[in-house]
Amino acid sequence: MTMPLPNTLFNSAFQHQRLNWLLISVIAIMVYLATFAMTIEAALSLLTITWDQSVENHMTVEIPALGDETSMPQPERIKQTLAVLHALPDIQSTAIVPDQETAKLLKPWISDPELAKSLPLPTLIDIEIKPGSFSSAQSIEERLKTVVSDASVDDHASWLSDLLHLIRDLTFLAAFMLFLSGAILFISINLICRAVMATEKDTIELLHTIGATDNDIARHFQHHARRLSWPGALFGFALATLTLGLLSFALKYLPAASNIPAIQWFGLALLTMMVPLVAVIGANLSARFSVLKLLHNMP
Amino acid sequence: MLLTLNHIGLRYNQNRAVLQNISFSLAPGSFHFLTGPSGAGKSSLLRIIYLAEKPSEGNINLFGHDIAKMARHELPALRRQIGVIFQDFRLIPHLSALENAALPLRLAGAREDYIQRHTSELLDWVGLGDRLHALPSSLSGGEQQRAAIARAIVNKPKLLLADEPTGNVDEESAMRLTHLFNELNKMGTAIVLATHQQDLIQRLNKPSLWLKEGRLIAPFPPSAKAA
Repeated sequence: MTMPLPNTLFNSAFQHQRLNWLLISVIAIMVYLATFAMTIEAALSLLTITWDQSVENHMTVEIPALGDETSMPQPERIKQTLAVLHALPDIQSTAIVPDQETAKLLKPWISDPELAKSLPLPTLIDIEIKPGSFSSAQSIEERLKTVVSDASVDDHASWLSDLLHLIRDLTFLAAFMLFLSGAILFISINLICRAVMATEKDTIELLHTIGATDNDIARHFQHHARRLSWPGALFGFALATLTLGLLSFALKYLPAASNIPAIQWFGLALLTMMVPLVAVIGANLSARFSVLKLLHNMP
Repeated sequence: MLLTLNHIGLRYNQNRAVLQNISFSLAPGSFHFLTGPSGAGKSSLLRIIYLAEKPSEGNINLFGHDIAKMARHELPALRRQIGVIFQDFRLIPHLSALENAALPLRLAGAREDYIQRHTSELLDWVGLGDRLHALPSSLSGGEQQRAAIARAIVNKPKLLLADEPTGNVDEESAMRLTHLFNELNKMGTAIVLATHQQDLIQRLNKPSLWLKEGRLIAPFPPSAKAA
């Protein structure tokens, strides 16, 4: 894109009232927020997929530790439960959850491992259903109750669906934040272009008079938008990457986050490297659109 | 005809008419004064001719084109054939005399070596050969005026419009400008020179367009006005 006019043409107007610093700051803030929102959105989407996949076709059978009225010993109850499960055509595999794993689940409430061990913990059996199977938790439970009357089956659906809904809502919120960042960027650049055009009204009229096209003038604003948005975009992105790095570091040492599948924050940040590039292109196009629109109202 | 105005009228937001029922034609290579008292509408009429203003009424035929029928993107090509000299010069403050004068050539896509050579020669012709790289702030009023003239004629326009060109310069500079306009006119450029200085009109003895309260009273020779 060649510019027939000297590229210093509107320098003084952009420096006037520090509009250049305003543009750099707006871009930096928008890129920071957009990088953050995009990373959060990508992380939440990844979490949703991970959790969806991890519970899809999986159910958990719970056999309470206390014996029922038949006083059948626990190992025998487990054996009979597994026999029924293996006899079902829709069951792909079964795995008894080790006691240590079961005790770990209580860690947020009972931190003393000895105390957890002394409790009558139920036996949990993780079962995997064959893909495409129509077996429900209820039908499997009914079959199990014929041998172990207090056995129950949980398909995780009830508690997980609420959580997934929440995550999906948060994903939409992050996407909306991205949209808002873009909208604010456009509005800010539009206002800055208006301010510069008001300052340079005589110059623009002169350029029109000597034969400049609207495109010739818009290219100059695009040039300034690009020139000023690069440093802002890179600074905002660097700051967002640093923040996400710190967040990733903090999550590693947060006990409550131990059940969240590992998320590669830095990997996600790398994915969001397109944000500064998109911001610069967006600033460039916003300047062009704004200036052409404003020029169109001139004779 | 180079330019024909038919029943041109101009008013802003339903206010009093700035121009009313203006009609005249200019032939190629002609020289006209546009005169009248302050506020008569001289600058507004010039703005309409150099397409900076759309008339509220009437139509303009410029270089054989009906302006009303032209698309916005077609107008710059016509504007490049008009040179305009503003009363306040309108030089871009951070560009040198050479860069200011070269702007129309750059917009027309001329080659850099031609731009440098032709603009330097032209500035030399208007007497600014030794001030090529001077910023407008370091030029005198007369020098700024000549840099503005160089910018207006660098593209060899068919029509040159000058709005009170001698209003802000001393007597000697005014005489020099008058000579410049005569020279340009001899080279075939049609000139419309807006002024309220009657001595200038009488000195050059060219036809005048007399505006009063937005109306063109009548085109008449300067001798008639003097009488």
